[in-house]
Amino acid sequence: MDKYEKLLNMLMDFNESIRFAAVADANGEILWNSQRKGLKNIVPVEETKQTIMRALNGWKGNTNVKQYIGSGLYSISSYEKIKRISIPLDNGKLLFCTVNNEPLKKSIIGRGKKSYGHLAEMGKILSIVDFIKEQK
Amino acid sequence: MGRYEKVLNMLMDFDESIRLAIISNTSGDILWNSKRKDAKLQVPIAETKKALKRESDDWIDRCKAADRNALGDPLYHITSFEKTKRVTLPIDAFHLLFMSVDNTPMKNTKKKSYGKMVEMGKILSIVDFVNTFE
Repeated sequence: MDKYEKLLNMLMDFNESIRFAAVADANGEILWNSQRKGLKNIVPVEETKQTIMRALNGWKGNTNVKQYIGSGLYSISSYEKIKRISIPLDNGKLLFCTVNNEPLKKSIIGRGKKSYGHLAEMGKILSIVDFIKEQK
Repeated sequence: MGRYEKVLNMLMDFDESIRLAIISNTSGDILWNSKRKDAKLQVPIAETKKALKRESDDWIDRCKAADRNALGDPLYHITSFEKTKRVTLPIDAFHLLFMSVDNTPMKNTKKKSYGKMVEMGKILSIVDFVNTFE
């Protein structure tokens, strides 16, 4: 099994909120992807490919600031229902995930406060990515 | 004081990690800004302006994507670097809030740290609160 297939499997096992995960190459071609069973795509695949291309271009633009604020770790675009996460991998590859962001029911019923979704546990996701990067 | 200046003041008061906060228009032009006293700009302003322009374009795409699909309203975007997080969110249809937030790991962290958490819930509630004015 390729290390990036392993990465997708580990991510899907780690967090049930992850709906879809893909690894794309530097040209935006999806090399591997994994979709959670029983879930329908909210966004058509073609549009996901455009989003991946935009994320890749964004990361290219971010290389200009590496000397000032360090390497890029991840980006999150948060919508009411989902979060889109992109993480740069080796050789220009990119990890792209969509994560459920529906507010927890208890937060609405229990406190009456407005909820803006839930945490994506980026520390744990990044430690899985680092673990896989170290593999040959 | 206008509500855009108010939101900048409230954000700077709320979280000391926020080094720089900017309100721009949809073309990425800086309209109002607030920089934390004693904090040096890590990134030259010319690079920040480029990032603002790129973010403005990306936000237009994100809003269009939200209109086409059942994603719900777009809330915020974070790009995390080793030393800084850049946060952007739409304040209203014509203005964007950009923040540069310190992301240096805490000194006492034993495990590898990927930086600090930005309290987006509180930041969004400040923006929502200020938007109730006028």
